[in-house]
Amino acid sequence: MAATQVLPRPKAYDDTFWKPITLWLTTTDHKLIGIMYMVTGLLSFVIGGIFALIIRLQLSQPNLSVVDHETYNQLISAHGVTMIFFFVTIFLTGIANYMVPIMIGARDMAFPRVNLLGFWLVPVSIFLYYGGFFTGGALDAGWTGYAPLTEKAYQGHSLGVDFWALSIIVWAISGIMASTNFLTTIVALRAPGMKLTRLPLFVWAQISTSILLLVVGAPLAAAMILVEFDRQLGTQFFTTQGRPVLYQHLFWFFGHPEVYIMILPGFGMISEVIPVFARKQIFGYTTMVAALFGIVFLSMTVWAHHMFTVGMNTWVEGFFMLMTMLIAVPTGIKFFNWIATTWWGSVEFTVPMKFAWGFLATFLIGGITGVYLASVPVDTQLHQSYYVVAHLHYVLFGGSVFTIFAGIYYWFPKITGRLLNRTLGEWNFWTLFIGFNGTFLIMHTLGLEGMPRRIATYANPAWATTNMIITVSSFLIAFSVLLFFINVIRSWNGGEIAGDDPWHGNTLEWATTSPPPPYNFEKVPPVHSFMPLRDLRESGQLPAKPEPAPAPA
Amino acid sequence: MKAGSLTRLWPLAILPAVLLLSSCEAPGGISPIFPTPVSPNGQDIFDTYIGISIPAIIVFIGVELALLWVVIRYRRSRQPAGYVPPQIHGNFKLEVVWTAVPLVVVLAIALYSFNELQKDFQPISNYDFEVVVSGHQFGWNYTYPQAGGFTIHQEGTLAGDVTPFVVPVNTLIRLRMQGTDVIHSWWVPAISGKTDAVPGYDNFTWLKIDRVGAWRGECAELCGVGHSTMQIIVQSMTQSDFDAWVQQQAATQHAARSTSTSAS
Repeated sequence: MAATQVLPRPKAYDDTFWKPITLWLTTTDHKLIGIMYMVTGLLSFVIGGIFALIIRLQLSQPNLSVVDHETYNQLISAHGVTMIFFFVTIFLTGIANYMVPIMIGARDMAFPRVNLLGFWLVPVSIFLYYGGFFTGGALDAGWTGYAPLTEKAYQGHSLGVDFWALSIIVWAISGIMASTNFLTTIVALRAPGMKLTRLPLFVWAQISTSILLLVVGAPLAAAMILVEFDRQLGTQFFTTQGRPVLYQHLFWFFGHPEVYIMILPGFGMISEVIPVFARKQIFGYTTMVAALFGIVFLSMTVWAHHMFTVGMNTWVEGFFMLMTMLIAVPTGIKFFNWIATTWWGSVEFTVPMKFAWGFLATFLIGGITGVYLASVPVDTQLHQSYYVVAHLHYVLFGGSVFTIFAGIYYWFPKITGRLLNRTLGEWNFWTLFIGFNGTFLIMHTLGLEGMPRRIATYANPAWATTNMIITVSSFLIAFSVLLFFINVIRSWNGGEIAGDDPWHGNTLEWATTSPPPPYNFEKVPPVHSFMPLRDLRESGQLPAKPEPAPAPA
Repeated sequence: MKAGSLTRLWPLAILPAVLLLSSCEAPGGISPIFPTPVSPNGQDIFDTYIGISIPAIIVFIGVELALLWVVIRYRRSRQPAGYVPPQIHGNFKLEVVWTAVPLVVVLAIALYSFNELQKDFQPISNYDFEVVVSGHQFGWNYTYPQAGGFTIHQEGTLAGDVTPFVVPVNTLIRLRMQGTDVIHSWWVPAISGKTDAVPGYDNFTWLKIDRVGAWRGECAELCGVGHSTMQIIVQSMTQSDFDAWVQQQAATQHAARSTSTSAS
């Protein structure tokens, strides 16, 4: 490799968002690309959240018409697509893009230009999707877009479905690029001493996520291509005369692993946060890694549990039920190991740790309701009801979003060089925790009483009070997210200076400066375990710092 | 300091409060269980749900208590100054225990559910009669075999004027679900779970209602603009009332048919 001279960026260049636009547009620096991924994800979070608030206004009382039924169907579809494809997955790709190379002691990703292309396909995908709104109406068949409702015969009035299908194809290509890049980087660019058995658990989580996306991204694109063939060429794959259920098989072969693509990096972040704030090493490193791969394998064998009402052979249904329930075992291992990590520990409940704990407290409910839903007889009642909506938000909001917040509060000092404000962070956590549980805990009961999801309005007066409580709580979530953004903007501009290692971290990213220089490390520290930084600190090779007494967030 | 850090936990009190609230069977839309089932298959689903709830609640309470215990006991402010936690890399026996115990629990739940699945979700052949339920955008058609096969049209509405689907009590009726355009899903929570009406093949479910009354439901699969209007009412009658109703329907539909033929 030719030796290239790398000039350090000027300081002012590093810790402010306001870099020259040409730099943002052309950079192949994994950190800047990571930031762009994360900002894109958070903007999508706001957009998807606004859709959600309109949905909640519409449902707050029976027989309201805040929006008409057609618009409502477009809103629920856009909410799902935005949150799943453009927020959670994109944000997690971003934080991994930023952190994985640093955590393994690499200078950049293995394919920086692929990284650049992969990122810039994301805005293309997003604009394609929202472009659908200007063609007479965006996708209005739910984020799952079940055929034959998406077929020309029923959605002929607009190009919304076509724009959605193209958007998802582009998204899948982008995801496959990113996954390939992650896997190559982790396999090929580890620092000396960084054996696979010493990888931080977040990096292991990114390996498992990338494998999943590589496997299931292509079937998703294939399903979308077939939908397009049906609509534009007149093939009969999923039409009323074709095999609509085949679409569901293809979609959910992607769709269920996608759930784990959205949660495994979160598991990884929690596995980083908890040992640092408990001042104990992770309990059962090897089983944590094994559990990740157990989940990866099982998640590809459960897709038809979304289809228990289409009328399959009961033995087939029994198989998918069994495999689904088995996922509780590796997930349980991770849960117990996290709790065991803090047992006898000295746990500091900083804001990231609070979010980690909020994640455990709420994700547990999502996991338990998942076992109910896996049981075929019970699922025929709960399927497509508000119980499922509550369950999936416990998994994706209580799971992914809480872990994302934990990750942001944990790594923001590394990325910007400044700490997020602790008081605002505490408010952010408690309002989110209360707003979230207020919204979704009570929502289970609506499903049990027979309120289907995706209905634009309802006539049953018995559901009115519950829906009102949910709507009010959802605005508390919005308030909390507003606090978060105020905190991010204020702290990025004028927050307390963090220093290299504000939390007494264990992993390599805390060995470099905050923010790291373009080349990441002046000199990669020696790696002798999966906690290289703690080794350095304990051997006295790092300047020992006093315990941060009233620690900032 | 200690008291201060504990009082900061006050919002946690909301959790038990919400749980307590949701555990009362209130009519205002916050019941934690299904509506009282009126058909044996619905009753079995109800029982399965209750059965799964026993381990589920134990696990929920156990894990939440463990989480709470860490918050109370192992927070840094509760540990002596200068406390250095023991560095434990793992414990093979413990990890085997918390792999094996959940494994046994979920296998038991799976087996228990599978028994119920084999019992109520197999195709049945000993039914008294069959009704063809056909979903379309936006409404349901119910074609009865009696008296020349008349059809009840349950057209989509939100105004409360839903045409009931009428069945006799204590009669095992097989429903043959058909979709004529997109996928719909027929769901009456008090009777049983959902059955999709998919274009291209017939899907089956059954009901055997044990009392006279009316039960509501609606379409559970997003099927287009009128999805929320696809309301369902199932009304059960005594056999004699049902026979009279059948005669009346057959007569009306016959009259309507002959008027339309004579008019054309």
